[in-house]
Amino acid sequence: MRPDFWPALRSPIPWALLALAATMPFLLPNYYLHILTITLVYAALASAWNIVGGIAGQISLAHSLFVGAGAMLASALLVKLGINMWLGMIIAAAASAAMGAAVSFIDYRFRLGHLSFALITMAFAEMAEIYVTNTEFLGGASGLFLPKDKGDLLAFQFGGINGVYWIMLGMAAACVAVNFAILSSPLGYNLRSIRDNENAAQAIGVGLLRNKTLAMTISAVLTSIIGTIYARYLAFVDPYLLVSPVLTIEIVLFATVGGLGTALGPALGAFILAPLGEILRGHLGGFLPGLHYFVYGLVVVGVILLMPAGVWPSLRDRVLRKPAAAGN
Amino acid sequence: MRWTNFSRRSCRGFFVGSAYGLLALGMGLVYGVSGIVNFAHGDFVSLGMYLCFALFTAFALDPYVSVIFTVPIMIALGALVYRFLIKPIAGRQLLMVIQLTLGVALLIQNGLMMAFGGQPTRAPSMIESKLFLVGDVVIRGAHLVACIVSFALAILLYVMLQSTDTGRAIRAVQQEPRAAALMGVDVGRVQVMTFAIGVGLLAIAAALLLPGLPIQPTQGLRFTVITLLVFVLGGMTNFVAIMLGGIVIGVAEAIGTIYMTHTLGQLLPYLIFVAIMLFRPQGLVWRS
Repeated sequence: MRPDFWPALRSPIPWALLALAATMPFLLPNYYLHILTITLVYAALASAWNIVGGIAGQISLAHSLFVGAGAMLASALLVKLGINMWLGMIIAAAASAAMGAAVSFIDYRFRLGHLSFALITMAFAEMAEIYVTNTEFLGGASGLFLPKDKGDLLAFQFGGINGVYWIMLGMAAACVAVNFAILSSPLGYNLRSIRDNENAAQAIGVGLLRNKTLAMTISAVLTSIIGTIYARYLAFVDPYLLVSPVLTIEIVLFATVGGLGTALGPALGAFILAPLGEILRGHLGGFLPGLHYFVYGLVVVGVILLMPAGVWPSLRDRVLRKPAAAGN
Repeated sequence: MRWTNFSRRSCRGFFVGSAYGLLALGMGLVYGVSGIVNFAHGDFVSLGMYLCFALFTAFALDPYVSVIFTVPIMIALGALVYRFLIKPIAGRQLLMVIQLTLGVALLIQNGLMMAFGGQPTRAPSMIESKLFLVGDVVIRGAHLVACIVSFALAILLYVMLQSTDTGRAIRAVQQEPRAAALMGVDVGRVQVMTFAIGVGLLAIAAALLLPGLPIQPTQGLRFTVITLLVFVLGGMTNFVAIMLGGIVIGVAEAIGTIYMTHTLGQLLPYLIFVAIMLFRPQGLVWRS
C-alpha cells in the first residue's frame, strides 16, 4: 500500500528530515554545501521529470527545453530588458507550460508511440540548443552573466550559497511532494493507466489529452522554475550546459537509477549519482577528464541489469520484505 | 558562380549522405530484428574512428587499411555488448533499453576521453588531398570513396539478405520471430549476429567519414542524432529508403547552410525529421 499523501504530510519524519537538511549551511564547509546544492538541483529536476517520464511513462527527452527556458529566458529578460527576475521566472514558467502543452498536443494529435515520442522530443531538444546558441537576445553561444548577488530578495537574489541552498531545498521537497500528491490522486491513477496501456486507458474513459497535458505542464513549470534558480546560482548562464540534450540525459539517468514512477526514487538517484559525479570531477577531473561520466555509465548499466526497477524500489522491498508490486 | 557553389555543395551532400545512409542501415537492421534503437550508435562510430586514429599513430596505417583490423574488433565488441548487456533486458520497457544504450554511450564516449583526451585530433589519409574535376565541380577523393563503398556495401547487404541462408534467417526473424523460431531459426543467435554486423558496418562507415574530419570523443551524440534522422526518414526498416534518406539529410545539411540564415540551415534537418515523423511515420517511400 502506498502511503497516502496527507498522512505522509502530517507525519513528523519528513519535516524532521527537512529541518535537519536546513541546518546544513551551518555545518558543512562551502565546497560540500555546493555539492549538496547541485545535488538538490538534480534531485528536483529528476523528480519533476518523473511526473512525465516515470508516472505517465512518456519518455520526454525535451526537458532541457524547459530548464533552458527557465534559465536563459528569465536571465535574458533581466539582463537585456531589465525585467525583475521573479517576473521573468513566471514568464519563463508560462512559456515552458505552453511548450509542454504543445508537445503533449502533438503527441496526442499524431498518436505517437513511445519511440516516436522520445525521438521527436530529442529533435526538439537539439533544435532548442541550436536556436538558443544562435539567438543574440538569449545570450547566443557565449551565454549571459547575471549581476552580482547582493542578497536582495526582491530582485531574486538569495545572498550567496546559503540562500540558494535553502530555496533549492524547498524546491526539491516541493517536487517530491508534488510527486507524492499526484501518485495518490486520481491524476496519478489515470497517468499510470496510460503508462501501462494507452488504448485500454482510453477505452475505460481516461482522457489522454487532458491527463498527458496536465502532467507535462506541471512537470514543465517545475522544471522551468528550477532552471531559473539554478541560473541565479551559477550566475554565468551557459547554453551548452543548460540547454544541452546531455542535461536531459543526465536527468533521465538519475530518475531511472533511483526508480521510475516512485515518489522518492528519482531524488534518491540524484543523491547517489550527483555527489559521486561532482566529487570525481573535482578530484580526478584534472588528469582523467570524463571519468565521472564513465562511472555514471557503469552505474546505469549495472543498475539496469541488476535491479531494473531502480534502487529505491529494490531497497524498499528488501527492507519491507514485500514482493515487488509491479511498477510502483 | 552561385550555380557552381550549389552543385559543389549538393555533390558533397550526396557523397556524405551516402555514408550517413550506411550508418542508418546498421541501425535499421538491428531495429528490424531486435526492436532496439541503439542510442550508443554514434559512439560506436566514434570508437571506430578512434581505433583508426590509434592505428595511425602507432603504425602510421592509413584509415582505409586499418579497416582490416577495426572491423573484426568492432564485430566482436558488438556481439559482446548485445549478448551480455542488451539481451538480458531486451523485450522489457523501451525506456530501459534506451537508458542502457545511453549508459553504453557514456562508457564509450568517456572511455575515449580518458584514453585520448578531449582535444580534437585527425587521422589523415593518403587520398585525403586528392581532388577530381567533373565539369567545373571539384570532388574530393575521400567523398567519392565514401559514396562508392557505401553503395557497394548497401548492395552487398541487400544481396546477402535476399539470397543467403543467413539473410533469409534475418528476414524471417524480422517478420515474425516466433514463427522463425518454430522453423528452426536460432533467434537469439540471429539477433546477436545482426547487432554485430550493424556495429561492424559502423567500423567501415567510421573509416569512410574520417578523412578530413576532426574527431572528438564528445561527437557521438551528433552521429546518433544524424543516424536517427536518416533512420526515421527511411521508414526504419526499408533499405532503399534509408539510403535515400541519408542522401536527403546529407544534401539538406550541405545546402541548408548556404541558402538560409545560419540558424535555419542548422535547424533544417531536424525540421524535416519532425515533419516526416508526424506526417509520414512510415517513411518517405511507400513500399519496399
